[in-house]
Amino acid sequence: MEYEFHWNIVLQKMPELLNGAFVTLHVSVLAMLLGVVIAVLLAIAKMNNSKPFCYVATVWVEIARNTPALFQIYMAYFGLGAFGIHLSPYVAVLSALVFINAGYLTETFRGGFQSIPSTQYSASKSLGMTSIQTYRYVILPQMLRRIYHPMTNQFVWSILMSSLGILVGMSELSGTTQRLQSLSFRTLEFFIVAAVMYFIITKLVLFGASLLSRRLFKGEI
Amino acid sequence: MMKKLTAIILACVAFTSMNATADQLDDVIKRGTLNCGVVLDFPPMGYLDENNEPAGFDVDYCKDLAEALGVDANILNLTWGDRIPSLVAGKTDVVIGSTSDTLERAKSVGFTYPYFVFKFQVISNKDKNIESFADLKNLKVGAALGTTYETEYLAYAEQQGWGKDNYTSFKSENDAFLGLYQGKVDAIISTNTNIATKLQSDEFSDFEAGPYVPNYDDVVGIIAKRSEVAWINYLNLFLIRQIRDGNMNEAYNKYFGSDAPADLIKSLRDNK
Repeated sequence: MEYEFHWNIVLQKMPELLNGAFVTLHVSVLAMLLGVVIAVLLAIAKMNNSKPFCYVATVWVEIARNTPALFQIYMAYFGLGAFGIHLSPYVAVLSALVFINAGYLTETFRGGFQSIPSTQYSASKSLGMTSIQTYRYVILPQMLRRIYHPMTNQFVWSILMSSLGILVGMSELSGTTQRLQSLSFRTLEFFIVAAVMYFIITKLVLFGASLLSRRLFKGEI
Repeated sequence: MMKKLTAIILACVAFTSMNATADQLDDVIKRGTLNCGVVLDFPPMGYLDENNEPAGFDVDYCKDLAEALGVDANILNLTWGDRIPSLVAGKTDVVIGSTSDTLERAKSVGFTYPYFVFKFQVISNKDKNIESFADLKNLKVGAALGTTYETEYLAYAEQQGWGKDNYTSFKSENDAFLGLYQGKVDAIISTNTNIATKLQSDEFSDFEAGPYVPNYDDVVGIIAKRSEVAWINYLNLFLIRQIRDGNMNEAYNKYFGSDAPADLIKSLRDNK
């Protein structure tokens, strides 16, 4: 290969790259947290007997799982823009990622809920627990433990999907990389560094999740 | 027998090493196809016509170049950001894509002499009444990601102490115009040629071309791999002959509806 690497320009621009990496971390962690909360609600709604809740949850899951993320981000930005609703690139990407995360995790959570024997619901009831108490103290802790691994998979996806933010001009890691490489044309160098940064971010998030899980599940993962 | 074999092997080695010195110019001629990269969302330099075929000033230059070389032109559609990766990966032999010839970029890629000069200009809704560049102060401004006008605007904004909060970058030229049309931004910066083309369409009848970016001529060249000096030499002569043989004027007439202005020709000759 005849390519000569020039790393000094990348080092010069490191502060901007780190800034971009921070935005990536920020938007994906927020999208995960919101996604988890909504997914729990959607999973409960989907298993519920009341029709409207179940219907909303099903539509959400079907759209989120069966359309490309690229399209959803575009819809949130330019699609809503056509109706005069102007989200900033950050909010557009965040809402699209929350939408996708919630959609995928709903199915994961529903599987988790259903893996818990229904006798436990009756047992909790007979102990005089309300249904909120049942979920809070009996069902959720066991469920989260079971779906921990599939859930972290979704976390990693969420981080990597945030790179699609470049589509709507968001200055996250990919957008910043693209801008910097077009100024200097040192494409390969900037892309390599960005890939390494994505790797580190995913590892960091997984590490954070495992720390949290140790506290929550008392080391039983 | 042994001697013969050695001679054959030596001949083969000599042949392959001769082959290894073939440069890009030889490669293109031997292949019989010129892989020419053009940005096709930048009318009238590059766009898709009503039959979905590549057209525009840059596309005509690709075809003229292929004709000069006696090969077929294979037009590849690129985004701004794809231009260099496509050269490095060998997908394109040359990119005729309105590439601004900055010294920073010339460290990475080989530039020919300039082949066009643009002005950067503001386009906004008529009711914004933008008289000068300083009027952009409290307005939301956008531009396409990775373009020189993005850099120029951001440098200007920083110098004026405006910050980046009012700035939005778009993935492509088309998205920037879409954003302007939808009202996501109050004004965008693009090139005078692209703006003039867009203003002819019905969608942009409420918009007007505003001031130019101060003190900036966007001089653009053809790019190729930096190491391919002989190839770049050939391209330079090609550009000179485009002017001398009248092909430049012909293409200008076709896409801008008038003869190439004398100051453009002069600027191209001066900037050489």
